[in-house]
Amino acid sequence: MGLLLAGVVALNVTVLRLNLRFDALAQERAQLRAENAELSSELAARASSPRTSSLARRGLGLAPADPSTLTYLDLSER
Amino acid sequence: MTARLSNRRIRLLLIFFVLAFLGTFGRAVWLQAVQAQPLDRMARGQHHATIEVPAARGSILDRNGVELAIGKQAITVYANPRHVADPRATAIAAGRALHLDPDRLYGKLADRTRGFVYVARKADPKRAEALKALDLTGLGFYPEERRAYPQGSVAAHVLGFAGLDNRGLSGLELAHDKTLGGRNGRQTIVRDPFGRTLDVLSAVPPVEGRNVRLTLDNTLQANAQSVLQRTVRQWGAKAASAVVLDPNTGEVLAMASEPGFDANRFPEASEETTRNRAVTDTYEPGSTLKVVAVAAALSEGLVASSTSFLLSPNIHVADRVIHEAHRDRTEQMTVAEILSRSSNVGTITLAQLLGRSRLETWIERFGFGKKTGVDFPGETSGILPFYWSGSTIGTLPIGHGIAVTPVQMAAAYATVANGGVWLRPHLVSGRPVERRRVVSKGVSDQLMSMLRDVVIEGTGTEAEVEGYEVAGKTGTAAKPDPRGGYSKSRYVASFVGVVPASAPKLVVLVTVDEPRGAIWGGIVAAPAFQQIAHFALQYLEIPPDALPPR
Repeated sequence: MGLLLAGVVALNVTVLRLNLRFDALAQERAQLRAENAELSSELAARASSPRTSSLARRGLGLAPADPSTLTYLDLSER
Repeated sequence: MTARLSNRRIRLLLIFFVLAFLGTFGRAVWLQAVQAQPLDRMARGQHHATIEVPAARGSILDRNGVELAIGKQAITVYANPRHVADPRATAIAAGRALHLDPDRLYGKLADRTRGFVYVARKADPKRAEALKALDLTGLGFYPEERRAYPQGSVAAHVLGFAGLDNRGLSGLELAHDKTLGGRNGRQTIVRDPFGRTLDVLSAVPPVEGRNVRLTLDNTLQANAQSVLQRTVRQWGAKAASAVVLDPNTGEVLAMASEPGFDANRFPEASEETTRNRAVTDTYEPGSTLKVVAVAAALSEGLVASSTSFLLSPNIHVADRVIHEAHRDRTEQMTVAEILSRSSNVGTITLAQLLGRSRLETWIERFGFGKKTGVDFPGETSGILPFYWSGSTIGTLPIGHGIAVTPVQMAAAYATVANGGVWLRPHLVSGRPVERRRVVSKGVSDQLMSMLRDVVIEGTGTEAEVEGYEVAGKTGTAAKPDPRGGYSKSRYVASFVGVVPASAPKLVVLVTVDEPRGAIWGGIVAAPAFQQIAHFALQYLEIPPDALPPR
């Protein structure tokens, strides 16, 4: 009887511990998701085309290529 | 004496214990029988909690997977004024940390009649964490998702925005709210006094919102917006819009409106600036509509492109005299020249050959007067004349007395560009696209040839893109005057073009509302077309089709 009682108590303690661990993991998951979203947003903002072109123009002195300087090679069979 | 005394004490003690036992028993009966249910409810309320597990809202991506709208975490700060020990000190600390007005916060925090007030909804997590570190009594914090638009104003008109509760309020955020929003989950948990979860009694997991992938290209979109911004500034115009379509698929590659706004700051933007003009606004198309009458006359077999007419510089239609815009003498003109030189008299002559019924049918076949079905909420169908006076057969074919949306006009020219098939213009990828044949391949080829001449020697020479053949049409229309008739100072200038004309890949339409200094589509809108097309052709690596100059 005593052994059974000890077993039930031990089981409940384990369930409790697992639940606390589960709660902590859920919070960690939410935190990681938030950080992930933040990083994705930052990446999208930094990779945005107006920003890149503005940085290229101001920081590096670049300008869009003149189309007349581009050469296209037609590799299709005639 | 001593024995009697001790018996008395024992009896008193017995009575005391009996009373104590009766009291305890009565209290136990009171708690466990009479008050059992309310106390049970109270205990459940303290230990059990049913919490909503919010579903993450899906992102909106451009055609290349670049995020245009995304969910970011924010912290909502609330307070229980009854537990706030020092409202003034708390208001000052919260105001400083969250960059809010302490006086307004003090009013909320000092109101002890309320048990819950928001201090800041969806505050910046770093600022909220700084406030949390102060450990002020009565303040609470919980995470919430906040919608963010990483590219700011890029495609803001198309995306629309989501409100504080993360539900779409306008644009594609509203149209695809169900897909993006998902479904919140629910958990019933048992908590310890510190708020930690001891047990999960039941759980319905959230259904996360799905991503929506658009046909827009963020780079083309950003460029189109910047061209419109320059155009509006250059011509002191009221507004402008542009649509870039792939005529072979109906995909909208860019849809821009000016003035613009930053979707992250939508509450500060006025309705004037948040409207997606390409879909919700109508304008009188003027000469860009002439292609319909010409296509109809060719398709009905009434004329060939080489059929010639002797055309005077003006024409009487019922009680009105309609003049040519660019000609003041009688001339012989072929049908091809009527379109390429944008002849009002020639187009009206063709419309008279068609008659009212056939002209109406062809206007509707090109998709005017009904919604295109572009997946954007609030699309307008445009306005067709509901009453025909004697002069309507003269005004309608040259684009007056009819109102169209920019996206309708772009779709009509895409029909001409792709061999005669109308495709539903669309903003969202992965859905079936309705298509129907409008004109034969032969007629569309003839129209393309005429439209090429518009840019080579007609009214649209400013639309030329070096190295590429461009087909297009200019349009200039006076705006209706609120007092009746047409304004003499307010115009809509437009240009719609197809490029490369030999193997169309892009249809670009530009409308400029109320330009000052110049009013003509060929002067005001054609250069904007040229800049958008020029950039897009290079960006999409579309090889030139024009023969190099000798």
